[in-house]
Amino acid sequence: MSSKMLYYILKRILLAILTIWIVITVTFFVMHAVPGGPFVGEKAISKEAQAALEAKYGLDKPLFEQYTTYLRDIVTKFDFGPSLKQRGRQVIDIIMDGMKTSAKLGLIAACLAAVTGIVLGAVAAIRRNTLLDKIIMVITTAFVSMPSFIMGSFLLIIFSVSLKWLPANGAMQGGLVLPVITLMLYPMSYITRLTRSSMLDVLGQDYIRTARAKGVSRWSIIFGHALKNSLIPVITYFGPMLAFIVTGSMVVEQIFAVPGIGRQFVSSITNRDYTMIMGTTIFLASLIVIMNLVSDLLYKVVDPRIEFE
Amino acid sequence: MKKLFALMLAVMMMLSCVAVTNAEAAKTSLNVCIASEPDTLDPALNSAVDGATLIIHLFSGLSKWAKDENGALNIVPDLATDLPAAVINEDGTATYTYTLVDGVKWSDGKDLTAKDFEFAWKRAASTALGADYGYMFEVVKGYPDNLAVEATDDKTLVVTLNNDVSYWNELLSFPTFLPIREDVVANEAWATDPASYVSNGAYTMTGWEHNSVITLTKNPNYFKADEITVDEINFFLSDDANNMLANYQNGDWVMIDDVPTAEIANLKVQYPTEFFVGSQMGTYYVSWNVNANILPEGCELTGDDAEKARAEIRFALGLLFDRNYIVTEIGQAGQQPASSFVALGLTDADGAKQFYEVAGPSDEYAGYWNVSEDAYEANWDAAIETLKKYYTYDEASGKFTNFPTIEYLYNTNDGHKLIGEYLQSVFAGIGITMNLTNQEWNTFLNTRKAGDYTVARNGWLADYNDPISFLDMWVSNSGNNDSQFGKGANAEAKIYSIDLTPYGVDVKVENGTWAETYDAAIAAIKSCGDKEARYGMMHAAEDLLMSTGAITPLYYYTDIYMISENVQGFFANPLGYKYFMYCTTK
Repeated sequence: MSSKMLYYILKRILLAILTIWIVITVTFFVMHAVPGGPFVGEKAISKEAQAALEAKYGLDKPLFEQYTTYLRDIVTKFDFGPSLKQRGRQVIDIIMDGMKTSAKLGLIAACLAAVTGIVLGAVAAIRRNTLLDKIIMVITTAFVSMPSFIMGSFLLIIFSVSLKWLPANGAMQGGLVLPVITLMLYPMSYITRLTRSSMLDVLGQDYIRTARAKGVSRWSIIFGHALKNSLIPVITYFGPMLAFIVTGSMVVEQIFAVPGIGRQFVSSITNRDYTMIMGTTIFLASLIVIMNLVSDLLYKVVDPRIEFE
Repeated sequence: MKKLFALMLAVMMMLSCVAVTNAEAAKTSLNVCIASEPDTLDPALNSAVDGATLIIHLFSGLSKWAKDENGALNIVPDLATDLPAAVINEDGTATYTYTLVDGVKWSDGKDLTAKDFEFAWKRAASTALGADYGYMFEVVKGYPDNLAVEATDDKTLVVTLNNDVSYWNELLSFPTFLPIREDVVANEAWATDPASYVSNGAYTMTGWEHNSVITLTKNPNYFKADEITVDEINFFLSDDANNMLANYQNGDWVMIDDVPTAEIANLKVQYPTEFFVGSQMGTYYVSWNVNANILPEGCELTGDDAEKARAEIRFALGLLFDRNYIVTEIGQAGQQPASSFVALGLTDADGAKQFYEVAGPSDEYAGYWNVSEDAYEANWDAAIETLKKYYTYDEASGKFTNFPTIEYLYNTNDGHKLIGEYLQSVFAGIGITMNLTNQEWNTFLNTRKAGDYTVARNGWLADYNDPISFLDMWVSNSGNNDSQFGKGANAEAKIYSIDLTPYGVDVKVENGTWAETYDAAIAAIKSCGDKEARYGMMHAAEDLLMSTGAITPLYYYTDIYMISENVQGFFANPLGYKYFMYCTTK
């Protein structure tokens, strides 16, 4: 690895830390500025009990002191504190619980989407304007334009309610099959279309013609020259997509009752579970920042012409 | 090809073996779904109905709900050998002494003693714990931090109440009153993990995949284990009604506690024997802020006269709503039109009649107005006549021309929105402009409690079968007094009257403040040991409350659920707790 690249990575990491610090600060103060609180409920508890709870969780301290304490605990102890709503549970445990499912779901969906997407895209490009190409294009267009809540409900009704082949709930055995399919269809179709158009672009380049003229075999052109070069846009898309899928697609988790991180994020906000809001926000922000960094670094691997600045 | 075929065959055979073993193990196991992940399963901290359902399967207290041979639900002794009457002391306090049955053990094998009750109750009531339902101990002497409860030996528990309380035996069955062991709760995370969750009831918690499923397994140490017919219950955790229904329809789950509102009409037809509308002791209502002005601009009424007029106006406005339309066209879940604040399901002094049937000024109808469809027109006309006294009415258009624009506040939810839009359309028909504003739940609660509104959507569910659970929330300093009675300008208003002398209580106030009348009545009710007098006073208090017009009940809540016809022996108590432990399956 060149020193230029090391310098670049270091710079990006510092930028990432700065970004996350800004996210923490903004979220912290905005969250406290929103009316309501973690101990507000339909049935009010006494003022004394409320005060006792606030003291217990340090919410009685001045806001800035709470902020500095929070930052200090994260930096020095990696301590995200206890959940204010799910009493007795630590924020980090809840996030890890949710992440286990979301990551499993997301990684499977993302990998399947990438593999099938690239294969279908390449096939469509090579067999351009044939019936096969047209079928692939029609299907992927349909999947790209169909929102996941419709796709999910559709699969649920067919495979779970009518045919009874697969369970409708993420907690049942085999319950992740339908959510994985629902999650992967959109990115798969997107990747198919990306691969196809960028592959067509590459196949029309001079160096491909040269290779062909040299008598290089058809497959070696496709795999050795065309495919690799047509993956750059796919990689740009893949990094953020992976972060997005892994951090949980709220809609899919809702439809199939999958215990992922997405639902935790939403419910923590309605509950004013301050520590959970902070924990999930930091976690999701970090993940997206890291994924972006990784996908930028991958450019270099795929296309050595790219220079880091 | 042959090889492949053989391999497939082998895999299928293996799978079918797995399926068979599953089916055998599942013989006495139920898959149900009542709600999403509970906030807590600590009996003292829980305040949710779904949490309570899980907790009553895991714990057993001094009393419990049980079905008798006629199918009626009663409170019966559980860990107490019996439920004796109180001994009334000289100072009017009431002392109850309970003896525990023999051989009761915790799920980890240790003996359960009366000390565990003493500890649990003191903990649940304490300010430091800040439990939502800590206030349920307010009837006990020394609440909150010096509770008069003592284990005089391992078997005997003595508790002293401020006065005899008619619903005390029912309170004993409530989750907040269940025993807990001190060394168990020393670990603050005890109630979040099956490994540390020690209980004493029919089941032990053997699995908890957070946000996914909680598994309860029959407790062989339970002292009435032979009565328990279900070996294992899987409580799946989901809050999505559509998903619940899909799991029910494909046969994975045998009971679901919610269905999508849009499907209700279909499901009633499709599953006539599996779709149930249970009762729930709660009222959906609209609350008015008594300090918000609704009088026309230039109105000369001020001070007490103004508030008197506003009370009359609010009451009249409440008569304009067609509650039958609301329940049949909007609610669609078998809700009952409401004519009183204390809900359907709460019984009167004799235990037979409903409290609301006896409430109100007339013997011809139940409650404070006639909710039958036939009476709607008459109610409407009466309301318009009243409003004409205060606002300019244009006979040609049938509209009031100087009613100030008001704002209806509700929490973001499609059902609440539909009801808001209906109320809006009724008002628009007579020239009143009411704008709808929605706020996210937590913000909404905050705004409503602070009294920063004119009129808002509201709802209340009782915690036990006694009307006081609906009435004591309106005392001046209550945290649930959303209508702001006795607060702000209303604190000074001397317009309320109450007479409790017929019930042997020396309170008779003409034109007094809210504190002098309503607060005094609630205090008298809470310190009254005579059932008849107590219920009489509760009716008087509700009369006063309803006369303010600030509470506009729309309907009484119901609890919709579906349960497979293959499951027998299931029941739900009036509080909505579901009992699966005595079920059998076909």
